[in-house]
Amino acid sequence: MNCEVCQLKELVSLGPPEPRQEVEHIEVREVLRCILHTILFHRALGLVRPKDVDLELFDITYVQCGDVEHEKKINEKIDHFIDRVEKHPNKKNQICLSFYEVKNKQATWFTNKVERHYWEQWYINLNTVQHPKTHSGKSHHPKVVVDPGETASEERNARRTALESSLREVLFQIIKFVNEKKDHVPPIPNLDGVSFPYEITISSSSDSAFGMDMLKRMLQTGHPTMLS
Amino acid sequence: MDLQYGRFEQILTQFLLKSIHIILDSRVPSTRPYSRCREVKKSDKWFNLALGDRPSALENLNFWHRNLTEPIIIDIILVQEPPNSSCGYSLLPTTSGLGTFTETVIERWVVQCEYLRTMTPQSSDVSYKKTYKKSIILLRSLFSMMRLLPAYKAFRKLSSTNQTCDFDINYKVSTFSVPFSRTEEELMKHYSFIPVDAQQGRFAISVTYRDNLSHFNLEASTSFPPEIITDYVGSPLTDPLRTFPSSLERRFHATPLLSRGMHSPSSVPFQRPHSWTSGLHRGVSSPQSQPLAGCPVLYRASYEVSSAISDTYGRKVQDCKSPAHYEAASSNDSYQLSPPFSPSPSPSPPAYLTSGNPVQTRFRSESAPVSIPHPIVGRSSRYISPNSSDPNRNSLPPLSPRFTKHDSSSQESPSGTRSLRKPDSLRSAESSCGMTYLGQKVSRDAKDDSGRFSGLLSSSDSPRVGFSRSSSRLSFQDDLDECDFSCPFIVDDVDTSESQANRNLDLRKGSEASSQAISSVRKSQDAAVGALVHMLRTAPPLRLDSSSYASGFEKSELESIAGAGSGFVLPRKTSDALEELKAYSEMKELLLCKSGSITSRAGSKDETSSS
Repeated sequence: MNCEVCQLKELVSLGPPEPRQEVEHIEVREVLRCILHTILFHRALGLVRPKDVDLELFDITYVQCGDVEHEKKINEKIDHFIDRVEKHPNKKNQICLSFYEVKNKQATWFTNKVERHYWEQWYINLNTVQHPKTHSGKSHHPKVVVDPGETASEERNARRTALESSLREVLFQIIKFVNEKKDHVPPIPNLDGVSFPYEITISSSSDSAFGMDMLKRMLQTGHPTMLS
Repeated sequence: MDLQYGRFEQILTQFLLKSIHIILDSRVPSTRPYSRCREVKKSDKWFNLALGDRPSALENLNFWHRNLTEPIIIDIILVQEPPNSSCGYSLLPTTSGLGTFTETVIERWVVQCEYLRTMTPQSSDVSYKKTYKKSIILLRSLFSMMRLLPAYKAFRKLSSTNQTCDFDINYKVSTFSVPFSRTEEELMKHYSFIPVDAQQGRFAISVTYRDNLSHFNLEASTSFPPEIITDYVGSPLTDPLRTFPSSLERRFHATPLLSRGMHSPSSVPFQRPHSWTSGLHRGVSSPQSQPLAGCPVLYRASYEVSSAISDTYGRKVQDCKSPAHYEAASSNDSYQLSPPFSPSPSPSPPAYLTSGNPVQTRFRSESAPVSIPHPIVGRSSRYISPNSSDPNRNSLPPLSPRFTKHDSSSQESPSGTRSLRKPDSLRSAESSCGMTYLGQKVSRDAKDDSGRFSGLLSSSDSPRVGFSRSSSRLSFQDDLDECDFSCPFIVDDVDTSESQANRNLDLRKGSEASSQAISSVRKSQDAAVGALVHMLRTAPPLRLDSSSYASGFEKSELESIAGAGSGFVLPRKTSDALEELKAYSEMKELLLCKSGSITSRAGSKDETSSS
């Protein structure tokens, strides 16, 4: 069975002006929570009670499965992602949400790991741009009357509007992919909520293993069908 | 083969039901049940998507949609008052001051099974399990899409409990629709979900929607905090028989809701119709539409008082009913799909028919006065109910049968008291309509219906039906209670003699003698008014004269009145004053004479003594 891969449109988020400003990471949290839960809702084919969630920063409502355990798991992954972003600012970061099937254990000489067969992978590309410093003590033009607050605010608003538009496009992209690709979905087990096991991995362009990780998956799952 | 087809039909029917449920649940607040049972019902487990109770109107879907090949078209209609309605132009004057309104289809959903003309071997091999699995995915994406389209924002505004809106959302479900005009098509976009292959065809969902709703100026404003109006009802200090001006009538209709702690609207929107059609179409772009052919006009579901009120009010008597009664292909169902499904009877949705013009029917309904069933005096506290929570609802007094004394022709009400007017008149009217789906009883506390029915749609024995439609969650019980509050505010025409006697009563209010007389003849609160009227009619004239008193007064009362005359100021005429003056002058002369005679006698005695 082939693994369907979906590369979601890149999103650009403006990072906080100062590192470790938790309040400014809300944008990243909201975006990731929205996308991950939306994907999960379309792949949690067990019995669910859908739950509407309104984003705080954007005029978008997404749907959750209503499973507290999975919500907690996603929040943890998002925390890891934010830590990574803080360590590696101005980098392109990627979250991969993969759905897999557990194949029969094959005891081998080299490994006794449980083999996973990935049948679908979603790549969320989030580019966190460092907040530009609008006020500098080393300004060479002290007489220039510039209101850095307003400029920064306007820029932030513009970026946020663009991010909201991009996020909406990503959600449409998810719906479109989910609709077009249905044959590769395995039979639904008799479980409530999230019926298929999944994993969330984080990588960034600075990682040396960034490309290797992808390559490894490609070798495991065969020739992927790229969909952009 | 029959078993396969039976399973296919079952999946298709449930697919249609679930699709309509998702669409209505995401666009029309009134169709959402107030309370969702925590336990997922069997019927709700279909496609592993638990949405809660279905709108009651969906229960009869299989009755009017017998031909599964026909598409089901759901129009989401935005209802607004045109901007020039405040300029005084309106097709029909209404006492509530509401003018015309416009309806615009902002979304059109088409759910259908596309039957394939030629059955290829591949299509026939499609297992129902795969069909079911893919249908689950399709419905998930439909659910998400409902939240991404522009109309969702309007829905959220309506659903908001602390906002009042100057628009409303209605819907129409039918198997036929009026095509969009070229102008409308240019403003709309189209999206089709990828169909799901099934044994006999393909399950398809598509939508044509307005991409931009900004020019509708869908305003929402924060409503006023709930206020309790205490001086309108039965305050001892107010005139209980005072006729309220018509402009305040709308407010009075809302007062019962206010008294429950609901939000008062800044403006009361118009009434909303719902429609379910069966092969009959209605031009939704025109506010005035002809009555549907083939069926007499019964009534038209009225709009809510206000979305904010109804949403806050939004209680729905939703007993967790058994799953919808499903007849088609259920006999072969030894097999159960994901949700084990056991069909069981459920109450049928109420029946509706569309009338020609909702404004007209509204006008009719508002012109029908309702008499006060009992005197308000002394019972004012009854109508001041600050309780807004559900448990307190039970503490409301039971509804008097006199409250149902409404104009039978008035099928709508701005206040949602419609349900009470319906039972008998609706039954008789509906039976005369020639509805074929009879014999289904609708319980009194049935769910909110989600549409108006026309043609051959629904059963006739449905008393409730139409009131809570678009954005209302009024339950039947709530409507009963609402009428309980609203009826007393609707004042009947009072006899002029009674009103005049009442005014006279006010003049004598402070009089001790009057109070004594009143208290002496009053036997019960119910007879108080009559006694007052009688007493005032037989009231003594301005001049205290025992001969002119009516026989109704006892002599002791007369004496008491006379005795109190020293402190009792009576209006007097000039002639009386002159006569009194004359009497005083005579007395003065008499006294002077007497004093003169005394002094003369005293003088003569002195003279005699001195001599």
